Amino acid sequence: MRRLSHSEKVRAIEAISEQIPHARLLGICLERIDGEELTMKMPYRDELVGNPQTGAIHGGALTVLLDQTLGIASVCCDQVGPMLTPTLDLRIDHLGVAPAGRDIFAVGRVYRVTRRIVFVEGFAYCESRERSIARATGSWVLMSEVDSRTLFPAHSPETPV
Amino acid sequence: MTLSLEELLQRNPDAETLKLWLKKVPYASFLGIEAEVRGGDILFILPDDERLIGNPGLPAIHGGVVGAFMEQAAAFHLIARMNRPVLPKIIDFSLDYLRPARLRPTYAQCVVTRQGRQIANVSVSAWQVHSDEPNAIARAHFLIPGTD
Repeated sequence: MRRLSHSEKVRAIEAISEQIPHARLLGICLERIDGEELTMKMPYRDELVGNPQTGAIHGGALTVLLDQTLGIASVCCDQVGPMLTPTLDLRIDHLGVAPAGRDIFAVGRVYRVTRRIVFVEGFAYCESRERSIARATGSWVLMSEVDSRTLFPAHSPETPV
Repeated sequence: MTLSLEELLQRNPDAETLKLWLKKVPYASFLGIEAEVRGGDILFILPDDERLIGNPGLPAIHGGVVGAFMEQAAAFHLIARMNRPVLPKIIDFSLDYLRPARLRPTYAQCVVTRQGRQIANVSVSAWQVHSDEPNAIARAHFLIPGTD
């Protein structure tokens, strides 16, 4: 897979987010791409609360956002490109609490690629990137390239009629 | 009169109580998590629901949702085993995906591997067809508040 341009990365991530029913349901969307680093946003909603006494967001909701963000970080990795990568494992450290009423952001970045494995790390935050509420690290298995027609349907000249 | 979750946690964790606990946690209700008591053990159930799909190709349940389900199962399993039940706080969570969770009901059972005064270690196994062929296994550390 050739290296994707910035606008191709944006389009690929928007297409992937749109095609995943649970990501669409939660409204998880692309916030920003800085080179090989990806930021996704999960808008606050009352259904995400895990502690009804404090209104804090459920740890599992952060797991969904981080799994989603780290899982598609390969799109921004110039060495890998959009790949079908099943998750091998994921570890999350809960450093703080995501308060009620705040949108949550997650940052993901591929930090090492081997022949078969993509190693990804990231974190989640609410107010400030400098104060993360959770950190994540995980491994994804390199399976096969994503069919570019599913990512760029309207722009692919090879699309069969 | 509506009881708070804190008050409900003091009840004997039978099937009816587990249902009330799950109803009190917005995210657990959102995912549709259910629980049954079988032979003295708690069986947690994540119903098959197209809203939970993370891989539309297979289709398969979102891996993060499977993790969230397992974390919730671990927390309530731990509470059910506490002498003085309180809501534990998740410290860290480690999840191994063994096979994709297809669009069918997913089950989870937990074991409190170690319960200290302040920290508990809970392991979780989630499966769909046979309990000896798990789709995912996980380990969670919880902080038990108010013990110092």
